[in-house]
Amino acid sequence: MAIGIVKLERQTLRGAQRLYLPAVVSGMLITIRHLLKNLFNLKKLPVISYPEVKRVYSERFRGRHILTSREDGTTRCVACYMCSTACPAECITIEAGEDERTREKFPVRYEIDLLRCIFCGYCVDACPEDAIYMTRDYEMSIDTRARAVVGLRDLVVPPNFPVEPMGWRPYYGAIDKKGTAGGTGIGQPLRTAPFEDDAPPNPELFRGGPA
Amino acid sequence: MSTLTKYSAIPYTGPAPTNREPFVPADAAKHDTRGEELAAQLGNVAQERGQDLPTLVADKNDIVNVLTSLKTSGFTLPLDLWGVDYPNRDKRFDVMYQLYSLQNNERVRLKVRVGEDESVPTTTGVFKGYNWFEREVFDMYGVKFDGHPNLRRILTHEQFQGHPLRKDYDPAQRWLLTEQGVAKLEPKIDPRFENVDTDFERVTLNLGPSHPATHGTLRIVVTLDGETIIGAESEIGYLHRCFEKMSETHTYQQVIPFTDRLNYCSAIINNVGYCMAVEKLLGIEAPSRAQHIRLMLSEFMRLSDHIICIGTNLVDMGALTNFWYLFQPREEILGLVESCCGARLLPSYTRIGGMAVDVPSNFLENSQRLVNMLPKFIDDVEKLVMTNRIFRDRVDGVAPISAEDALSYGFTGPCLRACGIPFDIRKASPYLGYETYDWNVPVAEGGDTYARFLVRFEEMRQSLRILQQAINRGLPPGPVIVDNPYVALPPKEKVYNEMESLIYHFKMIMHGIQPPVGETYFQVEGGNGELGFYVVSDGTKNPYRVRVRPPCFPIFEAYTEMITGQTIPDAIAALGSLNIIAGELDH
Repeated sequence: MAIGIVKLERQTLRGAQRLYLPAVVSGMLITIRHLLKNLFNLKKLPVISYPEVKRVYSERFRGRHILTSREDGTTRCVACYMCSTACPAECITIEAGEDERTREKFPVRYEIDLLRCIFCGYCVDACPEDAIYMTRDYEMSIDTRARAVVGLRDLVVPPNFPVEPMGWRPYYGAIDKKGTAGGTGIGQPLRTAPFEDDAPPNPELFRGGPA
Repeated sequence: MSTLTKYSAIPYTGPAPTNREPFVPADAAKHDTRGEELAAQLGNVAQERGQDLPTLVADKNDIVNVLTSLKTSGFTLPLDLWGVDYPNRDKRFDVMYQLYSLQNNERVRLKVRVGEDESVPTTTGVFKGYNWFEREVFDMYGVKFDGHPNLRRILTHEQFQGHPLRKDYDPAQRWLLTEQGVAKLEPKIDPRFENVDTDFERVTLNLGPSHPATHGTLRIVVTLDGETIIGAESEIGYLHRCFEKMSETHTYQQVIPFTDRLNYCSAIINNVGYCMAVEKLLGIEAPSRAQHIRLMLSEFMRLSDHIICIGTNLVDMGALTNFWYLFQPREEILGLVESCCGARLLPSYTRIGGMAVDVPSNFLENSQRLVNMLPKFIDDVEKLVMTNRIFRDRVDGVAPISAEDALSYGFTGPCLRACGIPFDIRKASPYLGYETYDWNVPVAEGGDTYARFLVRFEEMRQSLRILQQAINRGLPPGPVIVDNPYVALPPKEKVYNEMESLIYHFKMIMHGIQPPVGETYFQVEGGNGELGFYVVSDGTKNPYRVRVRPPCFPIFEAYTEMITGQTIPDAIAALGSLNIIAGELDH
């Protein structure tokens, strides 16, 4: 097989290279160049002072889940068990009930164990009802294991919930970009104050279940 | 360009899957002919036809002879050894060997059938690398290897009961494992140092399992004579998550997030390798746009893998600055991945048949920005270290391995290329269109830590070359996932609006992908070498067997031999340069 090969030569150290000092000096020169460059370009410093400044994540970010609602306030979920079947981590528990008036199926219990969840987004892909989305919320610290299990109370958001904090959700073609490239956001305006959408979707978040 | 086809009422008219049909690879006839030649040459082996590799079935008593004669006829690289369990068969276990010939660029698969209480003669005398692979088969299936020098469990705990990959092992079982009754690890003193008379006391020292320099949970026990390592033993399995057993209890799509966790430094390469293995089994090919995205992200991941390897290795040697310089571009690469799929480290971006979603519209601009900025960082680090006397004293001639030994252990990837052997899967058996790109395989002489640095630096430059060409070509238009409802979920617009698609959607989630019955092996060039996935399908929604060939496994196996006779600081420098990723090593 004729393949392009590049043979790498082992460089032997010659003359001044054999001394320690020139190596140290040339190393310092590179380091000082970086220091000066950063010193005069503080605005482009690739550092994010978390938590005052937060990283700009894309609109595909796979963060904490939400369950969306219809215009009339009922939850879109019809308890079809698609998400819990598709979940590779088996972290979704659903119990279905029936609305006596409309005869619609709906979830009586819908729990996600956030410690089991691997945030792969398969539940969103599996949902046939546009009911489960993922948000850009990634701050999910808890103090007990029990509080990692979030139920309907934490997941359901009111109808017409703003799209701004949304992350991974059904993909209807080109998403309207906010210019988020991810990364450290070099070349993009840095965020000095948190976005409004940094507030968690539900203020009752992670207070634990009913006492 | 949207990934989605416009709303249409035209139902899918292609063929329905015939999941009870056997899988016949496209080039089976070629491999049958080659298999016949090999069988005639070897004499005492049977042949299995219709496989994706020349497949021979040997008697267990002949296996050492067969392997030796294959080795003399050119198959010098032992790639893999693994087992499969078929409990309903008379001889229930298949012990499989895969060899590669560098001269002819071909592979051969050997099978040995063994019953429950039978044992196989060990082949560690033929290939050194089969030592750990045989221990793994013993651990997972309980197949004994006669004459094996150290037949202990390798991935599971010593007190673990049963053999987890047997089909009759219940994956939900739990064992309470404690430190009591676990044998103490005593490194064997290398014969070179046995009768050396020194003034020093012999000291046994543990490196790891949780030590900042081991970059993951692995344990090395060394016996020191003064500062010289005179005996070393390594232990792995601290991060064993039973990837292979879990794959058997999940559907084909659900395995993709698990593959992320193998080599978490270059997760997309794992995704691509697994998906392409299943696609080979299904007889489909991802659309050209998806292939282009896969190639670009694989190269970005390779860059990120080498960046981590070089950066952290230099930290271990005390050169912290390089770590900061290299981790900025890595951060940007992970940002690019995040903008595509919503996660940085564990992307799960590919799906069987294509990608989960299309890349964002500014993907090419962002890639170009990265390709423009990366050389500066690589140059800076190279200038800082490669001619630095202090660095060179730490790496020159440290932990060398000869080309013969590297082959015998089953080295692949940058570590093998550092021994002067230009073996790269992207050139040897190109996939994703690597053959259409203009790039070179870097090789270096010496096989020591310095050579591994040289290769990794040059490989990053070659990856950038591939990426620049890929960006210049642009993304081909079209969908990113195959239009086949038996493989991929239908587009959401259709699911919400069409009955037909909704049914396909439900069937896809409930019944999964059902490939034809058969077995296949597919290999990609991972960050550390050949990353192979061997998939067996029995026609149901769950894989019957998923075997991953982790490139780290044979490389770390050789580590104890490489560091014997060196000092502790050398051992640390060598460990970093091998780029051992515990997630991949421990399955």
